[in-house]
Amino acid sequence: MRVLVFAEQKTSLEKLCQCVGALGERVEAIVIGEDTAIKGADKVWQLPVLNDITIEGYTESIIAFVKKEQPEWVVFPPSKRCKLIAGRLAAAMETSVLTDVMEIEQGIAKRMVFGGAAVRQEKVSGKIAVAMIGYDVFAMKNGSIGSEYGTIEFVEPIHRMKVLCTQRKEKIKVDLANAKKIIGVGRGIGKEEDLTLIRKLAEVIQAEVGCSRPIAESEGWMPKESYVGVSGLMLVPEVYVAVGISGQVQHMVGINRAKVIIAINKDKNAPIFKQADYGIVADLYKVVPLMVEKLCK
Amino acid sequence: MKIITCFKVVPDEQDIELKDNGELSFERAKLTISNYDLNSIEAGAQLAEKGSHELIGVSVGGAKINESKLKKNALSRGLTSLFMLADEKLSNLDTHQTAKLLKIMVEKIADWDLVLCGEGSSDLYAQQVGVQLGELLGATVINSVSKITEENGKIIVERTLENETEVIEVELPAVLSVTSFINLPRIPGMKNILSAGKKPSTVWSLTDIGGTCPSETVEVIETKAPRQMDRKKDITEDDSAESIQVFIEKIAAELR
Repeated sequence: MRVLVFAEQKTSLEKLCQCVGALGERVEAIVIGEDTAIKGADKVWQLPVLNDITIEGYTESIIAFVKKEQPEWVVFPPSKRCKLIAGRLAAAMETSVLTDVMEIEQGIAKRMVFGGAAVRQEKVSGKIAVAMIGYDVFAMKNGSIGSEYGTIEFVEPIHRMKVLCTQRKEKIKVDLANAKKIIGVGRGIGKEEDLTLIRKLAEVIQAEVGCSRPIAESEGWMPKESYVGVSGLMLVPEVYVAVGISGQVQHMVGINRAKVIIAINKDKNAPIFKQADYGIVADLYKVVPLMVEKLCK
Repeated sequence: MKIITCFKVVPDEQDIELKDNGELSFERAKLTISNYDLNSIEAGAQLAEKGSHELIGVSVGGAKINESKLKKNALSRGLTSLFMLADEKLSNLDTHQTAKLLKIMVEKIADWDLVLCGEGSSDLYAQQVGVQLGELLGATVINSVSKITEENGKIIVERTLENETEVIEVELPAVLSVTSFINLPRIPGMKNILSAGKKPSTVWSLTDIGGTCPSETVEVIETKAPRQMDRKKDITEDDSAESIQVFIEKIAAELR
């Protein structure tokens, strides 16, 4: 089995190449530029660097190459740009992309569906599988560097994407992915100013603050990078404190691997209580100030 | 300009029940418009209202998507007209099948300039139909679009990626997938709902489009609820100061 890997950045390409060996014995990387050494890849295929060509502008070249080479797997990381390239490739190859794969075993991929309410197992019917795989799906194998390399012929894109400008996003300071303790805020918070209270608690217990989707997207009280759930972050903290969060499945899927879940909600029927280790049915405005007071050492 | 907005009809996730064997039951689930597609309909409606364009809604699925309440719901959100491809054989489509069938529909509607899709469907969320459709139509394809503006006949979009935002001038015809935060979908008023009943809607079957169902590209082996972790479920149902105190003492150990 031959596995072709593409990623927009070298670091992610190397990580992927080192772990997809579980899919097939031969791993080949596609790069834009003249790099010949990619950790984990037996062979490196080079695409020419051209002015005015966006990363997406190489899609036609990748499609033509895949059609010619017929690998069993083409693997991408789950980034937005790669979702576009993988989707266009799959359309040209008459298949569907196995997206956001959590596990793969013998060609059968697992991923979450119905907002995290279920896990679906699926496999492609055709000869080629296009998959988007995170780095934590397989264990990283020691990455030796192959000595083979070749070039991929550039195919002029049908449409050129005219990018007028690019703005780097401000780096968000919160690092939820590596936080041991996380407080999640939801709709139970009445107004944006009240987040100060939550931040005070976070300081006292040394936690980071995340939120449910409405807080980030509808209200815009917190950055979109901090919302937890199926279309946002998937986290594995030691403790998750859900404040004013009802516990809908789309949110819970983001934190249900937490070691301990603590819930504060005034609605005793909130689904969060069915999935919590400790909970209190009370107004968060009564509980949180007391927590700040008592837990402050 | 002729704008087409695609939407998927899905079982309402609030009504999905878990069976004892871990499978999901959709028996009591009402059909509804996929949540993220409300954003693409709204994006189309805002463009259409500003520039007096035609906005056509398009959906493909099983025979049961042909339901008058659903069609009214879609039409009340600013559509000019609606086309559905509803057929018993089309209930569980994969992304490639969906894109192929939408392509046939879009080409049958003809003379289009812009197709809008949601980022992904609220049930399967593969985030692929828009990009596949664009490729099959040979159009410009852009995903993760977070703003669309029309200036002097040109379409300019903002695209929000992980670490950057791009501003792109779009060459038409184009297929765009919009993010869930591009706008806040409207809540149709009584007047919109009443006038929706008078708007033209067409329902095709597979025979009408002279086609067969494209072959399946992904085989689904099973769909089951993930195993839940066992939780202590130590819940205090009393909000007196003493109970809160006891609760805090209990969790203090975990928070240390």
